[in-house]
Amino acid sequence: MSSGILALREEYGPSIAALAGALAAGDETAFLSELDALVRRREMTLFGELRKLTGDLQSALERFRLDSRLLVLAEKEVPDARHRLDHVLKLTDEAAHRTMDLVEQSAPLADRTATSAAEIQLVWKRFRQRRVDVTEFQAMVVKMDQFLNEACADMDRVRGNLSEVLLAQGYQDLSGQIIRGVMTLVSELEVALADLIRLSKSGADTSKPVKEEPARGFGPAVPGVNNGPAVSGQQDVDALLSGLGM
Amino acid sequence: MSKDMKFLVVDDFSTMRRIIKNLLNDLGYANVTEADDGQTALPMLQAGGFDFLITDWNMPGMPGLDLLKAVRADPKLAKMPVLMLTAEAKREQIIEAAQAGVNGYVIKPFTAVTLKEKIDKILEQRANAA
Repeated sequence: MSSGILALREEYGPSIAALAGALAAGDETAFLSELDALVRRREMTLFGELRKLTGDLQSALERFRLDSRLLVLAEKEVPDARHRLDHVLKLTDEAAHRTMDLVEQSAPLADRTATSAAEIQLVWKRFRQRRVDVTEFQAMVVKMDQFLNEACADMDRVRGNLSEVLLAQGYQDLSGQIIRGVMTLVSELEVALADLIRLSKSGADTSKPVKEEPARGFGPAVPGVNNGPAVSGQQDVDALLSGLGM
Repeated sequence: MSKDMKFLVVDDFSTMRRIIKNLLNDLGYANVTEADDGQTALPMLQAGGFDFLITDWNMPGMPGLDLLKAVRADPKLAKMPVLMLTAEAKREQIIEAAQAGVNGYVIKPFTAVTLKEKIDKILEQRANAA
């Protein structure tokens, strides 16, 4: 005999015996109350099963919701994030080049002003010492006129370039907003992946640690992200290298 | 070595190459060529004519460390002065670069003064050795 039927016999045997007894004795009240108790006991088992099924269904639904969220993240939002970060790269690149263009345009103007001023200063010094003759004085006046005109125009352009340099820094606002959006996505992805691992935990940890590739490089040190012992600046590098005999 | 020395600047970011190029120009070195990673740089170096290599570390394709090793392994290039200009700041990396035969290591962000100092120092050592 199977253990199932044995358990059933143990569970229901006394009730059925009581039912049969009540029936034989013609005790209607005892029979009905015993029958009620039997049915209730059976219902309790069914409810238990049902509760378990509902629980399973609920976690399946939760899992499904998580799966579809992960699907959206993987198919749409992660590639989107990549595009957004690409755009940040483009924004910073453009701003840096724009700034350097403006600096390169301005430097010769500043140089020219400084050189011309220095030239005039030489004659001017001798003029103050009354060591300049009329011809030289006339030449100085012509030069001065030219310098003042040029300096006004050049410095106007430098001034304009400087305000454009200022404007070019607007990339920080835009790229900052985009990066913040990607950070939100990354933390959402982190939560979804952690939930997925929790729901599908199989016990054995088969994951392999990710191998680091030192030859490729780790990128810039980021405050708060520990990547092993690092130098804090050029002085530290110099100290380390001179320790190695360089 | 004089101011006509020919520099090769290797960095994957065009802005950084431009910054380095401008700084070198300010230092009086007008002869500066650019490459965007080790893979592009190596054939340029092998083609000859360069006197000084400034390279980043972290680049797609061939990273700077591999470029350094390739340069040291090539008999024609083995003696070329190499300055690493990089954000890589791990102690083990700096030691690795030193062991691979780097002549100087400048960490980003850097200053014009530091760059000048390191280049001068490397050239000075060259002159003393010669």
